[in-house]
Amino acid sequence: MPKPKLLQNMPGLVKASLNPWLIRVRNNPERIAFILHRITGVIIAVYLLAHIYVTSLSTNPELWTRTMEVFGASLLNKIGEWIVAGAVIFHGLNGIRLILVEFLGIGIGKPEKPKPPYIAPSLRGGQRKALYLVFALSLIGWILAGFLIFTGHLPLP
Amino acid sequence: MPRASTISLWQYITAIILVFVLTFHLIERVPGLSPLTATSYEESLEYEKVAKAYESYGPVLAVLLVVALFHGLNGVRGILLEWRQGVTWTLLVNLLFWILFLGFTGYGLLTIIAHLQM
Repeated sequence: MPKPKLLQNMPGLVKASLNPWLIRVRNNPERIAFILHRITGVIIAVYLLAHIYVTSLSTNPELWTRTMEVFGASLLNKIGEWIVAGAVIFHGLNGIRLILVEFLGIGIGKPEKPKPPYIAPSLRGGQRKALYLVFALSLIGWILAGFLIFTGHLPLP
Repeated sequence: MPRASTISLWQYITAIILVFVLTFHLIERVPGLSPLTATSYEESLEYEKVAKAYESYGPVLAVLLVVALFHGLNGVRGILLEWRQGVTWTLLVNLLFWILFLGFTGYGLLTIIAHLQM
């Protein structure tokens, strides 16, 4: 049976520990966040390049107004904007968690002897709670962004 | 290219800068919070408001442009280098990174400069 193309391209990197895309997602919210962080990152990077081009049209007032009228009238464009907004909100909030956890070492506990039943301190530390908070806030933020994009206003008093 | 550890450090530094600068950029679109005094999302995208944003916050937009491009393109670069290995592939991905980074930075800066001269 021939090897999958991905593995052919990665000789010696078969083990899941070296290929983050192969690590199981089940019971692993950090892995779900990892995959979502990458997918949203690619969405934002592609949008960023398009955004730089579109904003360059603002040097011509008439062209800018016409372009915004076309964008504003397109439901497909608004749905696209909403997807990008969701990507930015999740990527940003999870990014703050990653800065705290990976860059500053906050919320991952201290090393300890692995006595069974062993659960790594990093999985018991504050970062897991922060991750659930990120998921919850991202959902709330995405709903609010939907109101802003589709109605023009936030549903706040 | 600089060492991988140095690039990784810059990925975190640009992320920290983006938390502040991008949040400000997004708040510009939110009615009630917008420093452009826009009363709706659509109004914040009208020419007068956009021109005001360039005029008032040009340097902030320039920082956002450079930092976001580095962080975004370097992120995609990292995914591509992890996906496949090889000298030619690495060279190709690094070359693409620099072309897109410098090209779009220059293009975006020209837009900001054009607005400041208007």
